[in-house]
This record gives sequence, C-alpha cells and structure tokens, in this order.
Amino acid sequence: MRSLLLRIFLSFWLIIVVTIGTAGVAGFLYAESMRDAIERFEIGDSMLGASTALESGGREGLKDWIEDNPTSRAITIFILDDRGHDILDRQVPFGLMRVFRRFREHRRPHRFDDREPRNLRRSRPHPQLVAADGSVYTFFVSPSRASHSVWTTADARWLLFSIALLVSGIVSYFLATAISGPVRKLRRATVALAGGDLVARVAESVGKRRDELGMLGRDFDSMAENLQRAATRQIELSRNISHELRSPLARMRVAVELAKQKHGDMPEFERLDNEAERLDALIGQILSYTKLDASPETDPEPIELADLIREVVENVNYECKAEGFNGVSVVAQIDASPVTLGHVDAMTSAIENIVRNAVHHSPPESEVKVHLSQDDQHVMIDVRDSGPGVDDEDLRRLFEPFFRTRQSEASKNARGTGLGLAIAERAVGVNGGALSARNHADGGLLVRITVPL
Amino acid sequence: MVIVMTDLPQTSRLLLIDDDQELGVMLSDYLATDRLHVTVCNSGEEGVESFAANDFDLLILDIMLPGMSGLEVLKQIRQRSQVPVIMLTARGDDIDRIIGLEFGADDYLPKPFNPRELLARIKAILRRAQPQDTDARHWKLGGIEVDTRTHRASVDGTPMRLTGTEFEILKSLLETPGDVVSKEQLSERALGRRLLPYDRSIDTHISNLRGKLERAGNKNETIQNQRGVGYLLIPGE
Repeated sequence: MRSLLLRIFLSFWLIIVVTIGTAGVAGFLYAESMRDAIERFEIGDSMLGASTALESGGREGLKDWIEDNPTSRAITIFILDDRGHDILDRQVPFGLMRVFRRFREHRRPHRFDDREPRNLRRSRPHPQLVAADGSVYTFFVSPSRASHSVWTTADARWLLFSIALLVSGIVSYFLATAISGPVRKLRRATVALAGGDLVARVAESVGKRRDELGMLGRDFDSMAENLQRAATRQIELSRNISHELRSPLARMRVAVELAKQKHGDMPEFERLDNEAERLDALIGQILSYTKLDASPETDPEPIELADLIREVVENVNYECKAEGFNGVSVVAQIDASPVTLGHVDAMTSAIENIVRNAVHHSPPESEVKVHLSQDDQHVMIDVRDSGPGVDDEDLRRLFEPFFRTRQSEASKNARGTGLGLAIAERAVGVNGGALSARNHADGGLLVRITVPL
Repeated sequence: MVIVMTDLPQTSRLLLIDDDQELGVMLSDYLATDRLHVTVCNSGEEGVESFAANDFDLLILDIMLPGMSGLEVLKQIRQRSQVPVIMLTARGDDIDRIIGLEFGADDYLPKPFNPRELLARIKAILRRAQPQDTDARHWKLGGIEVDTRTHRASVDGTPMRLTGTEFEILKSLLETPGDVVSKEQLSERALGRRLLPYDRSIDTHISNLRGKLERAGNKNETIQNQRGVGYLLIPGE
C-alpha cells in the first residue's frame, strides 16, 4: 500500500466497521424478529381464542388452549397469574419476572374496548385476560429457548465475539508488524550509524517500501551517505593538510643539515631544527585529533591494560631521561589485571598523552603516579602529578583543544602542543569510556580514565 | 657480530623514490658528502623502471606517492629483488607502516625526518648488507640452514627468499636456539638501531619470517614470543 497513513486509517476503520457493524446487524435482526413475533401474536386471532378458552374452561381451559395452540418457533408464550406463576408451571426466565413485576405495578389502570371480549385487556405489549374470579392472566412473549435463531443463542454470541476478535486481531497484527518491523530495522541502522558504522544502510530492507517508512528509510540512507562522505572528506582533508605542511617541513630540515655542512654547527641551526620538530609534533597531534573523530579503522580487540600501562610508563620514562625533565619519573601501581575490549592505539595514545601532560606539569625530582584499579563494572586508570593543580573553574575546560590553564600560562610552560588532553578525551571516548579531572586533596592534578569492563 | 664504526668503504648507489623534487635534490646533495650516490625518481612508475635498469644498494621509498602507490612499487620490486628498502611514511599512519613492513620493507622513517637519522639508518643497513668474511659461518638447526657467506637461507634444502633484515633476525635466533633474544638486540643487529617506543617493526619482521619458514616446509622449529622480553627459536622434537 502506498501510504502508511492510509493503511492505519483503513485498518482501524475496517476493525471498527466490522465489529460495530456485526454487533449492530445482530442486534437489529434480533430486535426485528422479536417485534415481528410479538406483533403477530398481539394482533393475531390467538388472543381471541385464548379469551374464549378462559371463559369456557377457566384456568384449565386456558392451559389446554396454550398447550394446543401452535406458536412461532421463535417465541414462547408464558401466561403468568397474579402471583407470577406460569399456568403450565414452567420456569419463568428471571428477566421476564422483573418485567412482570414492573408491569403489574404500572399497568393497573385497566382499559376496555367495547369491541373486544370483556375479559381481554389489550395492554401493550403484554395483553392480559381477566378470569371470572377476577384473577388476571398476563401474556408474555419471550424469545424461545428452543429457537435456533442464529442471533439469540449463547453460542451465536460467542461466535460473534470470536469473529470480532479474529478480524480485529488479524488486522491489528498486520498493521503492527507493518509498522514495527521496518521501525526496528531503522533503529538498528541508526544505532549502528551512531556507533560509528558509517556504511550502515537500510535500502535493502526498508528502502524498497513505497510508504512513509520507505521514504524515511531512503532519507536515512542519504543522510548516512552524506555523513560518510563528510567523514571521508575530513580525513582526506587532514591527510592532505598534514602532507602539504610536512613537505616544506621536510625540506626545511634537510636545508638546515645542508647549512650545517657548509657553515658548521651553530646554535641557531639547532634551534631551527627543534622548532621544526615541534611544528611536526603539532601537526601530528592535530592529525590524530581529527582522526579520532572519525570511526576507528579496526575492530575492537582485547587490551591487557596492565601491560599497556607498563609499556607507556617505560616509554615516557625513557623520554623523560632523553629530554631532561629534571629528574621527573613515572611509577606504575598495578592493582588489577583487567582485559577490556577496545582500540589499542587509541587507548595507548590516551594514557600516553595524560601521563606526558602530568610530566610536563610536574616539579623537578617529583613522581607521576599511574594507578590501575577496577571494581565490578569499571576499570579506573588514575594519573596523578604533584604539580600546582588546576583552578576549579578551569577544570571544566581542561579537555578543550589548545586550552591553557592560568598555571601553565604563568609558568610559561612551552612544552606540549595543547592538544594532549583533548586527544586523550576523544581516544577514551572511542573506547567507550570517560575522562575526568579533579584536584587531589593532597595537591596535584588527578586525571582519571574510566572504561567499562 | 662485529659492528664496523668507520665510514662505508666504497660509494653506494641509492634510489630515492619521492614525488617531492626539491627534497630529492637537497637529499642527494646532503647524502653525497657521505659517498652515497642518490638517483632520484619522482613517480612510482619511473622508480620501478629505473630499478630494473640499474643496480642499487638501497632503496628509499616514499609510501605516499601520487599515481602508482609506494606499496605497489614495493610489491613489484620485492618480486625480483631483496634489496634493502627504507620507507618514508606519514607520521602516525600506522596502517601504511605495518603494511609496508609486511610487504617486505626493512625499516621505516616517519616523514618529515631528521636527515641525520635517515643517514644513520642508511649506514646501518648498508653496513649490515656488506659481506663480512671474518664473520662467515654456517648455521643449522633441524632443517633450517643459514650461510652468512653466501647470504643464503633454506629449509630442508628449499631456499627461502629473505630480506636482509629477516636474514639477520633468523641468524640471530639460530645462534642461540632455545634462548630468548630480546627485541632490543634484534633491532640492533637486524636494523642497526635502537628499539623505539611502540616500535612494532621487529614483530612484523618476525611474523613475515614465520610465514616464509612455513611456506618453505618447516614444521618442527617454531619462533616463540616471550612477552615483554623477546623471541626465541625452539628446536623441533
């Protein structure tokens, strides 16, 4: 069907029309058959016969008459005396008794018609006969128990109910699956896309439909297409930028070496070389920052965090010695050996950047502590330095790219690119974790990586 | 192993494949003072052609080439030669680096590099590639044989085409079968340089070597990884 709107509208309409319609028709047919029977009975000559039978034979005569008198198969005639007993001692239906009592109370005023037999009261809808002794016999017409009229038996009511249940059930089922199936598929694709799977599409499953969900599916696909293209473009762009910036940088470094060969070593050359190296590091950091935004190129794999931390600590210690960080050293305290699923490169880069940042902000001859621990659901990696810490209002912005705290401005700390913690935050995010920072009670900044187990 | 610390004895011929023309000219100037004669090609196609027509002692290959990619060049050259290859990669592009090493590059250097570092690596690899008669020996373990004089390695007589780096690693492991050789030692011996932080090149060379040993029919001896320490060659039963 072309339109979901039309489908929902028609389905509900169908259910309502079918149920109300059948119930209405059944009720109507039932009422019709009853009215026919009653009217035929009332208007017919049978009342006159009954009148004669009562006059001539009294109660017994009436009994004989009703036993002999053929009635329609659809109805049963009850003749109740003053006390509400059927003259044939038949069990009077409860509903009928209620009608009888009400009728007896309200229809007391008798009305006579001269042309009718004197003992007949044509009180509608239940005619009465008055016997010679003054006792009143009221005629009731009731749907016949023996009648097999489709609309009056209990079976028929169940059948009716079942039909309504079945029809509405089937229609509702098809309506529900027609909506929820594609919605579920769309949801799965959306979750996949949000999770970084940029090739998630629904063209095969939902996109072929011609209704609104199909349109939504096709819109989803074109959105995903755009996202993927944008992500690819961004990676390409940052690759190109880094390549374009690095080519002159590479030439510059060779030029410096050539200059050294010609003019001998001069401190300015060393400076040039160092600046080129820093520029290169900065480009590298920008590149990894933009790359972390895109979806990871590899599937998650098990990471042994204890080993990873030991390796990072060893490497940063090596850097500390090589670059002369005034005796700052990094120590690892491993209190757990969790294995998490994630991206090793991102995880390494996160821990490394945090530890390096801690080293950069540490006073001489101090220690940076890296602590690995875990609880039931999470792994925590705490990196703590003994530096000046960070103002509370700066803590919030600590993970923004190129953000510098007042402390690092004041100390004219030229090390680092200003991207380390921003990269760390994204890299932890890629691994499904979170990064937080606070000042430790005993001084120094504490940066914590929390990843789910 | 004797490490010769003096300059290289004779002029070596290098092929540099890099699309940056100016860099090529400057580098060949810079390296010329160390008696390294550099031929510069600015495209992959040109490089493959030049390599086929001439004899080179070492190849410096930029992985990020327009047109025919550096990896494709490496693949084509490896089909007919085990010449030492140093590739230049984009910093941080681990995938290119790993694939490059898997395709048989000996070492890599992220670009932009310190030219002194490049010079040091070139020297280290050229020195290693030189026949060292004093050190000539024949090593054998199970079916694996290595001859340092002819620079040949084989499994049960089936010759293996090993790169210089793979050859040196295998030799180092064969010298002390059953004993762990650290990654640092392997890096010093096979690449002539220190092991760097997060340096996975030895691991990649080892995995290539395993593949080649297996394809040559070796079943008994296994190269085992001793986590955090290094590698060892375990003799067969």
